[in-house]
Amino acid sequence: MKSNFRFLAAIGGVSLVVGYLIWTGVTETMTYYLTPIELINRVEEDPTFHQVGVKVSGRLEKGSWSRDSDELLHYFTVADLEDESVRFSVEYRDILPDTFNDQELQDVVLEGRFREDGVFDATVVLTKCGSRYEATPEELVGDYIE
Amino acid sequence: MIQLGELALQLALPISLFGAAFAFFGGAKRRGDWVLAGELTVYAVFFLLLLTSAGIVVAFLTDRFDYWYVANYSNRELDTYFKVSGLWAGQRGSLVFWVLLLSLFSVIATFSNRLKNREFMPYVVGVLLTVTGFFLLVLLFADVNPFEKLPFAPADGRGLNPQLQNYWMTIHPPTLYLGFTAFTVPFAFAVSALLNGRLDSRWIVITRRWILLSWFFLANGIIFGMRWAYEELGWGGFWFWDPVENASLLPWLTATAFLHSIQIQENRGMLKVWNMGLVVTTFLLTIFATFLTRSGLIESVHTFAENTKIAFIFLGFMGVVAAACIMLIVWRKPLLKSEHQIESYLSRESAFLFNNVLFLGAAFAVMFGTLFPLITEGITGQTITVGPPYFNKINLPLGLGLLALMGIGPVIGWRKASRRNLVKNFRMPIVVGLLVAVGFYLAGARHGMALVTFGLSAFVMTIIIVEFVKGTKARSRIEGEGHVVAFLHLVGRNRRRWGGYIVHVGVVLVFTAFAGSAFDRELITTLEPGDSVTIESPLGHEYELTYQGLSSERGNNLAARITALMDVSQDGKPIGTMTAEKRLYLTWEAPVTEVGIRSKFLEDLYLILESVRDLNGAFLNDAKAQRATFEVQVNMLVGWIWYGGLVITLGGLITMWPSRGPQTSSTQEDPRRSSASPTI
Repeated sequence: MKSNFRFLAAIGGVSLVVGYLIWTGVTETMTYYLTPIELINRVEEDPTFHQVGVKVSGRLEKGSWSRDSDELLHYFTVADLEDESVRFSVEYRDILPDTFNDQELQDVVLEGRFREDGVFDATVVLTKCGSRYEATPEELVGDYIE
Repeated sequence: MIQLGELALQLALPISLFGAAFAFFGGAKRRGDWVLAGELTVYAVFFLLLLTSAGIVVAFLTDRFDYWYVANYSNRELDTYFKVSGLWAGQRGSLVFWVLLLSLFSVIATFSNRLKNREFMPYVVGVLLTVTGFFLLVLLFADVNPFEKLPFAPADGRGLNPQLQNYWMTIHPPTLYLGFTAFTVPFAFAVSALLNGRLDSRWIVITRRWILLSWFFLANGIIFGMRWAYEELGWGGFWFWDPVENASLLPWLTATAFLHSIQIQENRGMLKVWNMGLVVTTFLLTIFATFLTRSGLIESVHTFAENTKIAFIFLGFMGVVAAACIMLIVWRKPLLKSEHQIESYLSRESAFLFNNVLFLGAAFAVMFGTLFPLITEGITGQTITVGPPYFNKINLPLGLGLLALMGIGPVIGWRKASRRNLVKNFRMPIVVGLLVAVGFYLAGARHGMALVTFGLSAFVMTIIIVEFVKGTKARSRIEGEGHVVAFLHLVGRNRRRWGGYIVHVGVVLVFTAFAGSAFDRELITTLEPGDSVTIESPLGHEYELTYQGLSSERGNNLAARITALMDVSQDGKPIGTMTAEKRLYLTWEAPVTEVGIRSKFLEDLYLILESVRDLNGAFLNDAKAQRATFEVQVNMLVGWIWYGGLVITLGGLITMWPSRGPQTSSTQEDPRRSSASPTI
């Protein structure tokens, strides 16, 4: 019986360590994934939310992209997927993905912080282009009729 | 041919289900003729699936864009090579490819056991055909039929995602799928053992090579995936903790745990329930990975589809399998009793046990992090994600623990290690490990975790080298052979043990490479032709890259290949040129980045053409449109991942290689011998 206890104690000990690592890992690195509407409501309720890193999924506004002369500071506008009147400007100092294109409707995912001045300071910009990977037969028909 | 393939797919479903029924009832009623009918079905299904796959490949090669699947994953100008790989480029084709591979392995398992292990075969065949049947069911009834036709025939297809038009991407998915499907065989034997009650180590001995084979393909598949990411995604990294990458890592983690824990069962008759649990878990994770890769359940850079119906079917199947297996294990609990117990923490059993708990802990943490957005959304309605920092934070300590155990496990004694055993085996390796860590510190490396990794790697390498030297010397003395011959005979006589050590060497190299990335350097800069940029390597020398300008040309399937040329010199001495590209594909709106890589043994110089100021001008070879932004990186030790992969492949092949003479089976060895026992 004593040995079974050892066995369980070993498993229990390591499980506790793993559990602790997961707990601290989650609490230290978790990021809210919000829509622009949710984000704006959230910071109105709780201004400290300006300091919290968040992930936002929205729609890149057509023709809104411009860049600074040093070529690495980008500006564009992102709107909510459902209510396009809810929007904010984004500043991003890094390389944009190849697929980033403000000449057509495009969904983007941003990571970063919503500053007090109402500008989203992005550290990561990803483009969602699911429809370009695989189209439903209906979409495909649409494509060719265009 | 295409219609024949479609017909074959429809026929394969009822045939495999009938075959499964025959095999199960034949096993239960002990009717040899029914079982034989089930076994013949395995061959028939394989033949039908070959026809199905051939039908899809023919549709690709003949540009049949009236098929939805072909229209979405190919176009006329696509290389023939990539047209053939269209079979696994998208969800629909890859499901066919998956079930084809499963069917191939079913044929091999059935054929090689036609005269032996007959008490297992009815249920093995039954399980294999049931899993095959499930995938066929999905293909035919979950809106993923690869033979679905469009109401019209487009003039050209939409083309293959350029990121998939890469050599590594054509072999990465098949290799992973080989690993996933091969694991169904040990699973089938385990279920069969539960059903027929032969719950000693027999099923493990029979399937040992299958387990190794599956592990081998999974490991290679994961490394090929890293190589693809490094070359093609153009971020200079090789692992992003992306849901799809995680999904392929999960079964590898549990399969590795299983590979180690079966040795305790073989040697000491312990952990029988645990092993059953692991084989079932690993099988479920292979299914989960297949499903996650191709369902779009979680956002990912690799997932290229969305279909929720298929998600429910898969989850339902996994639930049924899990419930059935748990009931079987509970039913057979009396037969799964342990023959021994753990006697000391300082024993090989305990090292293996900790190894298992760490692997499972890592698997659980990775799974939890991957599903975290779904879990939080389900519970609170609010999606919360965890990113790479979460995974790194957890897996770093667990990985270091496993690295340490990789040194301890092979040389610590079974049952209870003596003080002498410990001092004799560990004194020198510990000293070497400490010296290496201190040496790197003095040389200027100031990254704590990297130093720990380097030290532990040296510790493990010393132990393995000492084992090889001791074994070779002993053999050379006893048999009177030269050292080289003695070494080869040593490895040849117990391939499982020494091949396993070689795999460990490969894993150490990969770990060292991960630690090396702590010293990577990078910079971003915008240049005009004639401008130079310098970057210092952590090794002390300096690279200077001088931008020569852009050139644009038409290419196969490309509207333009815009190439940036750089002259590279090291410490003032010219060492050659480097190019990086932006490609404009005919079937793709966005430009695609192709990086330039100069690999050396210790470091890679990695060049990314981030953006071209005036892409249209560059496209037209306008001399004034040359301004471009580059990222230059010095990536430390990345090459060691690929070298480590080669060593793992070599070691894996040695462990699996069939032997002519009687195989030195570990079950025949006396577990009480202190240090000479097999290890995988």
